[in-house]
Amino acid sequence: MKVPRKSQVAVEIATAAVMEEKKKKTESSKSPLATETVSKEEKEAQEPEKISNPIEELSENGNLEKEPRVKGNEASEDEDFAGTSGNDDEHRVYSQEDQDEGAEAHLGVEESDSSEDEVAPRNTIGDVPLKWYEDEEHIGYDITGKKIKKQARKDKLDSFLAGADDSKNWRKVYDEYNDEEVELTKEETRLIRRLLKGKTPHAEIDPYAPYVDWFVWEDARHPLSNAPEPKRRFIPSKWESKKVVQYVRAIRKGLIKFDKPKEEPRFYLLWGDDSSSKEKSGQGLSYIPAPKPKFAGHEESYNPSIEYIPTQEEINSYQLMYEEDRPKFIPKRFESLRSVPAYENALKESFDRCLDLYLCPRARKKRINIDPESLKPKLPSRKDLRPYPVTCYLEYIGHKDTVLSISIDVSGQWMASGSTDGTVRIWEVETGRCLRIWDVGIAVQHVAWNPLPELHILAVAVEHDVLLFNTGLGNEEEQEKIKELLHVETPTAPESSGNGTSIVSWIQHDKHEGIMLKHLKTVSSVEWHRKGDYFSTVVPGDDSRAILIHQLSKKLTQKIPFKLHGLPVSSAFHPSRSIFFISTKKNVRVYDLLKQKLIKKLETGVREVSSIAIHPAGDNVIVGSKEGKLCWFDMDLSSQPYRVLKCHPKDITNVAFHRSYPLFATCSDDCTAYVFHGMVYSDLNQNPLIVPLEILRGHRSANGRGVMDCKFHPKQPWLFTAGADSVIKLYCH
Amino acid sequence: MELDSDPMESSRRVQARFVTKLQPPLRVPPVSIAVPSNLTRIGLSAVVNNLLKAGNSDWEPQPFDFLIDGELVRMSLEEFLLTKGISAEKILEIEYIKAVAPRKQEEPCLHDDWVSAVSGSNPRFILTGCYDSFGRIWKAGGLCSHILEGHSGAITSVSTIGPKGDDSVTDLRIATASKDHTLRLWKFDAGQRVLDHPMKIRAFKILQGHKSSIQSVAAQPSGDMVCSGSWDCTINLWQTNESDTEGDLVSVKKRKMGSEAEESQLQGEAVSTLVGHTQCVSSVVWPEHVTIYSASWDHSIRRWDVETGKDSLDMFCGKVLNCLDVGGESSALIAAGGSDPILRIWDPRKPGTLAPVFQFSSHTSWITSCKWHKKSWFHLLSASYDGKVMLWDLRTAWPLAVIDSHKDKVLCADWWKSDSVISGGADSKLCISSGISIE
Repeated sequence: MKVPRKSQVAVEIATAAVMEEKKKKTESSKSPLATETVSKEEKEAQEPEKISNPIEELSENGNLEKEPRVKGNEASEDEDFAGTSGNDDEHRVYSQEDQDEGAEAHLGVEESDSSEDEVAPRNTIGDVPLKWYEDEEHIGYDITGKKIKKQARKDKLDSFLAGADDSKNWRKVYDEYNDEEVELTKEETRLIRRLLKGKTPHAEIDPYAPYVDWFVWEDARHPLSNAPEPKRRFIPSKWESKKVVQYVRAIRKGLIKFDKPKEEPRFYLLWGDDSSSKEKSGQGLSYIPAPKPKFAGHEESYNPSIEYIPTQEEINSYQLMYEEDRPKFIPKRFESLRSVPAYENALKESFDRCLDLYLCPRARKKRINIDPESLKPKLPSRKDLRPYPVTCYLEYIGHKDTVLSISIDVSGQWMASGSTDGTVRIWEVETGRCLRIWDVGIAVQHVAWNPLPELHILAVAVEHDVLLFNTGLGNEEEQEKIKELLHVETPTAPESSGNGTSIVSWIQHDKHEGIMLKHLKTVSSVEWHRKGDYFSTVVPGDDSRAILIHQLSKKLTQKIPFKLHGLPVSSAFHPSRSIFFISTKKNVRVYDLLKQKLIKKLETGVREVSSIAIHPAGDNVIVGSKEGKLCWFDMDLSSQPYRVLKCHPKDITNVAFHRSYPLFATCSDDCTAYVFHGMVYSDLNQNPLIVPLEILRGHRSANGRGVMDCKFHPKQPWLFTAGADSVIKLYCH
Repeated sequence: MELDSDPMESSRRVQARFVTKLQPPLRVPPVSIAVPSNLTRIGLSAVVNNLLKAGNSDWEPQPFDFLIDGELVRMSLEEFLLTKGISAEKILEIEYIKAVAPRKQEEPCLHDDWVSAVSGSNPRFILTGCYDSFGRIWKAGGLCSHILEGHSGAITSVSTIGPKGDDSVTDLRIATASKDHTLRLWKFDAGQRVLDHPMKIRAFKILQGHKSSIQSVAAQPSGDMVCSGSWDCTINLWQTNESDTEGDLVSVKKRKMGSEAEESQLQGEAVSTLVGHTQCVSSVVWPEHVTIYSASWDHSIRRWDVETGKDSLDMFCGKVLNCLDVGGESSALIAAGGSDPILRIWDPRKPGTLAPVFQFSSHTSWITSCKWHKKSWFHLLSASYDGKVMLWDLRTAWPLAVIDSHKDKVLCADWWKSDSVISGGADSKLCISSGISIE
């Protein structure tokens, strides 16, 4: 009450509360139908009271002499609001007030349900925000349908003048809802005042009424209810919840911490056996619940009741039942436990059981549920790996017997083939026309085209000989050079002297205009070096002359300076470095020709190697075996195969890499050729990607052999296959 | 839909009117008639023939082909309307044209070896190239009038040089390309009387410069130059003039065994070389004065500007290409075939896409030759290793006609006199299928 403004605000709040109360009362009086009728009667009866001024009312009630005092009181209150009165005054005033309230107490009880309760709100807009009617001139409609007009608002000057003129103006409150000014009665102001002081609004309520102890403290013989206190009576403690909130806030702010870092023991057993401690702290033996047996029934008693014992007829009928339907246990009666047959061995048996429990190795059988699909490697779709050979469009027909070997010219225009019918043929790739035939009379083992585009020389392995043919392609200058190369002046003599032993003799072949290299044994294959000057021949045998390297320009032959371990099968030059691959039946050995030493030994793990091919980048090798397995070696990884593909049911006869496309192929005696995608990444961290692409069929089996050779076109993703059915097929993308 | 209790009633009828662009004797009255909807091309043809017969009593029936909304009818009328979503309620306008199919198979002209090249650009003769290294000139009726002698390898491509459409010129020039790395130009008199035995003639100019087999030759429309595509990945341009004006031309005396006298032969070198292809240039065409189209084994089709020597178009098409021709609508469509059985047609004017506008896939093996009809925008032929020559119309996906006269691979084919198809194959025959009416 010290600061007048505040108190003003408080008064307003309080008056608002009173108004609210009024409204509520009217509403409550309205709602029940029965009370409404009653209240109407009352209304009629009390209508004059409502009209009368509360002060007049007071005077009517015969308290005229009180009025001046009240007035004075009001004055003092005014002072009070102005903040001039002291504490003593206040006390006095209060006491006075209390007095009149006490005097009026009985009056107030009568009035409680009277006049103001009946005041219906003028406003008929209902319970909607007043804001909606802010701009309207009316506030709803009355019962006759006419607009209820708003009163003209007083401006500030008017209200000030009104305040100056009328000393009671401070009691007037503007009711926004009903748009009218309400003058508070004295009782109401009194109520407000009491509320402001924190007292009960009505003076008649005695907060310190004498305590009436309604409870009977004597022990009743029969209590009214023995039921335990119901839970709904429990009132949760407000302070406890406040405390909880406090804690929660503290936890959120991080003032309270729960998991304090464990203090490491400052001292520890330095020489403690950590292996044993680990074992202890490990899972130990896991508990395996034993299967639950059926509970023993009465019939399993040693002395069951007589009704459990089957009669002899029943026992006989069991014999007629099926084995599986027959009861496993037939109850029997024994005089005593000691006469039960198991009694004799009971002790030993229980000992055995204990031994079983003790000695039984128990381990949890781990069962893993894995979708077998998820174990498959994620391979890219075949569609994305195009182009690769798919369909056979061209056939090269002309050979009379098994075509053993084919070779494609570097330009991709010509193909050479050698067959067991003793002919070497040159074909035009594009049309399938046979351009030239050499008849050598004996089965042709191997043909190889010189890798240089200007040297149209074909090396042919025929039994003991290697023939170098001039194919006659190329222009005149090229032809002259080839003819010069393929000319041996004095056969055999310088060779034998130069090499000490006559391993190979270079002889001019007159019939076919070429050179013949006479070997001592059958030559199985011829491979050119990438520069087209050197070529190697494989003469399967266990001696040091099994693999020879020849030089075309000098007509020289030399042995390889390495000891072979096993029968050589095939040889190959590295596509870019001076490295030489020799495959024996079990292993592939990689030699450095410059340093003349073994670099690596690739262990294939297959029974018999049949063919070998080097990736054009030179770091990957594929090896085909006679049991149908294909081994991919990544030379950077290890000497073990990176992948072993078991694809063919029969021998793999040949393997081939494509020069530019990431493709490789195998062909087999099962009349098929497989095409794979074999991507080698320049990133060393990435392993090669191998994807099987296509099975090429079409060849027919002849003499138990299928496809004898396969070679890729040097520029197109096409595969040539030579079959035992004497046909060469071209598969295109 | 009712159960087809009565087959006659079940077949529905379609109101149709037959229209044509053909000349009056082939015109039917423009009235709409009801035709059964299950009629196919043959049925429709019979209807039109009957209508024509009604107007002209001595009319001889002939096959027709029918177009609805610019598409050839290749199934029953009902199916066609259903698939195209054309309403059968209103009167259907069916345009009929003469059916394009060879009516006559002429006697094949026998060669000594595979016929690798054929040219029918001059209506007075057929020019063929053969694997026995001779070129031949055939007159109508299977008469060989001239043998072009001189190559040492198989001829791969032939072309007539000279202003197009000028058939009156008797002195004709020819270019042949061969696997012996040379091109030869020949001259002969087409108006000469045909003798009993063919006359042997020799080249007047030898063009040397390619490092490998030449696959294709094409002449400039004006006839001043020829271009050639080769296995050495280049396209060379050559002068065709016979005068000795150029300084670097060397006149070489060549001794010829036999009765013929010594004859001077010019040698020519390439005027310029178009470099860009990375593999064998398998086909070249020179449709306009400064534009050359080439197809290569490196899976690309390129258009070259002769004056700058640069390629203005580089189309990648994923397959090895063997043949190429430019024609069709305003001579802009590119047809090409190669190492798969699909004949593809591109429209280079279409922006932003390299997808073919048409794909014809009735062949079963490599396509070796494709040629547009010189006058029609819609017709082209293709030859394949499966031994068939097919006639195509852009308005339908099915071949108009399949000429199956060869026993082996067909290596080359061309139109002749705009109503015949000539084709040469690995069975050493030159087959002529005539009587194809393309208006």
